Amino acid sequence: MSNAVISARGLAKTFLSGDRRIEVLRGVDLEVSAGETVSIRGESGSGKSTLLNLLAGLDAPDSGTLTWEGSPDTGARRRATYLGIVFQSFYLIPELDALQNVLMAARIIKGPGAPELARAKDLLARVGLAERSHHLPTQLSGGERQRVAVARALMNSPRLILADEPTGNLDEQTGSAIIELLVGLSAETRTTLVLVTHNTHHAASCSRQLRLHAGRFE
Amino acid sequence: MPWYFYLALKQLFPTGRRFPFFTAISVLSVALGVALLIVVLGVMGGFGFQIRRMMVDTEGEIQIKARGLISDYHSIVKKVEAVPGVAGATPYASGILMVQYQNKPAFPQMRGLDMGSVERVVSLGKFVRIGSLDALDDDSVILSAGLSDALGAPLGSTLEIYTPLMLARKDVEVILPRSVKVVGVLEVGQQQLDSSTVYCTLRLAQDLYGLVRDVHGVNVRIAPGANEDEVVPRINAVLPRGVQAFSWRDSFADFLWVLQLEKNMMMFVLLFVVLVAAFLTMSLLLVLVLKKTREIGLLGALGASRREIAICFCLQGVLIGVVGTGLGVVVGKTLLYFRNDLVRALTHLTGGQELLARFYQFSDLPEHLEPRDIAVIVIAALVLSTLAGVIPAAIAARLKPVEALRSE
Repeated sequence: MSNAVISARGLAKTFLSGDRRIEVLRGVDLEVSAGETVSIRGESGSGKSTLLNLLAGLDAPDSGTLTWEGSPDTGARRRATYLGIVFQSFYLIPELDALQNVLMAARIIKGPGAPELARAKDLLARVGLAERSHHLPTQLSGGERQRVAVARALMNSPRLILADEPTGNLDEQTGSAIIELLVGLSAETRTTLVLVTHNTHHAASCSRQLRLHAGRFE
Repeated sequence: MPWYFYLALKQLFPTGRRFPFFTAISVLSVALGVALLIVVLGVMGGFGFQIRRMMVDTEGEIQIKARGLISDYHSIVKKVEAVPGVAGATPYASGILMVQYQNKPAFPQMRGLDMGSVERVVSLGKFVRIGSLDALDDDSVILSAGLSDALGAPLGSTLEIYTPLMLARKDVEVILPRSVKVVGVLEVGQQQLDSSTVYCTLRLAQDLYGLVRDVHGVNVRIAPGANEDEVVPRINAVLPRGVQAFSWRDSFADFLWVLQLEKNMMMFVLLFVVLVAAFLTMSLLLVLVLKKTREIGLLGALGASRREIAICFCLQGVLIGVVGTGLGVVVGKTLLYFRNDLVRALTHLTGGQELLARFYQFSDLPEHLEPRDIAVIVIAALVLSTLAGVIPAAIAARLKPVEALRSE
């Protein structure tokens, strides 16, 4: 049994577009160890996001196996505690303020108590939003929203963070700040990070860099 | 608090923001339906309750009848009044008469009252509009208000009375009527009695119908707090063979059935208003599910199960139902409380105040809402609102997180 935080063997995924079969992933192998930071680069349509969705257990591969710390259980309940996901589009809940958006990750596991509240406040402070914890997403800038999303991803102290082009909707300077924050917090909390990006500089901040081309790692 | 309950509350009633239009419309539609049901059933129940009260007021809760005439009514009245739970009993005689005043004929019902005991059973005195019940003797009558109006016979005028017994006599060439004096006008507020009834003494009724010392029945009033269904068997136990006691409910079973049927039909028809509100809630929740597709995907990505996502949206239907029903009950009860002011304002505007009072026999709009009625309305509204959330919830639960997150 593998001790890797995440291990994928021969992941393949095909989509149907009308009568056409598009092979997005053609047998991807990936193994990420604890504490590692891995970037996955690739041009648009190379299958980066599809791979990330498979790694997150959000979608099922046509073939291949996926294990999290050697376990094939990649269901919703385990995902809640094992993974933290950061999306390109932030996906904050508009009715909840920044603090409650961060706490939402903990709520899904159980009703949050004082320790969870304290952790959420601490995380917001670490992403530089202590003063804005009671602001609604509409009252925050794009960069601030992504910071809230990063804090939410770290809320349940996950073993692994999957970040899908987290700077895609941000300007260069804010994007770099977010990557710096994400990599820094991952190192600080010894959380494994898999970062999907097409920005060379951002990819370079990770300890291992992979490039996806035509459904396979080069 | 489970996350799905928290999020359902926040989506319906967000903190620090305006009350969402979606929530307001859904809650108001349920509230209006519930309020309408409460007002209509309250007033309908009031009509039924008022009519029941009038009937019991004029005939007592229990009637004793025989297949033919009751002969030894003195001993029956004595035995019945000794039964626990009985407040009083009074014999009566009844039948059709022909009454004539200044060549104006009428064919009213006659009601012969035993003046010694009638007030123990029926408080007729309080219904006398003109004259007095004490003035009634064996040569006088009291007319119901409708009959008095129809004949135009004033207090002190003399009427001529013919009975079927007189008309059936073949040994006389000229039928001589019985002349009686009008000593009062009585209005009990019950259309059937008020339209055409002559009240007279029992002795006069017996005389007119040739009953000698027999009567047609005995009315019984039960003691306060006694249950008529328990008293009836006790009375039957002391009655001779061939004579039987019936509760008021038994005697008016058909009428009560019609009243209940009307009420049930009204409830059935008006429940469609709540059903329409539930459809509105459902369509608005469906729009919400479409609007929140990406958030549903996020919740799935955060580890929420499909069941929990379904509960979150179903709960929104329940919450709309709870708030809407609560508001509807308050609005409905408030409208019922001010019903007479509203009716007065409305009839004042339309000029139909007197007509309303004359037609319905009530100067005030009655109201009677049983706890069972409120329970049925509340349960029906809550069930329909909950069902309204089921389809949107099922659609939300079927969304795959990865597809939901990709949706535009």
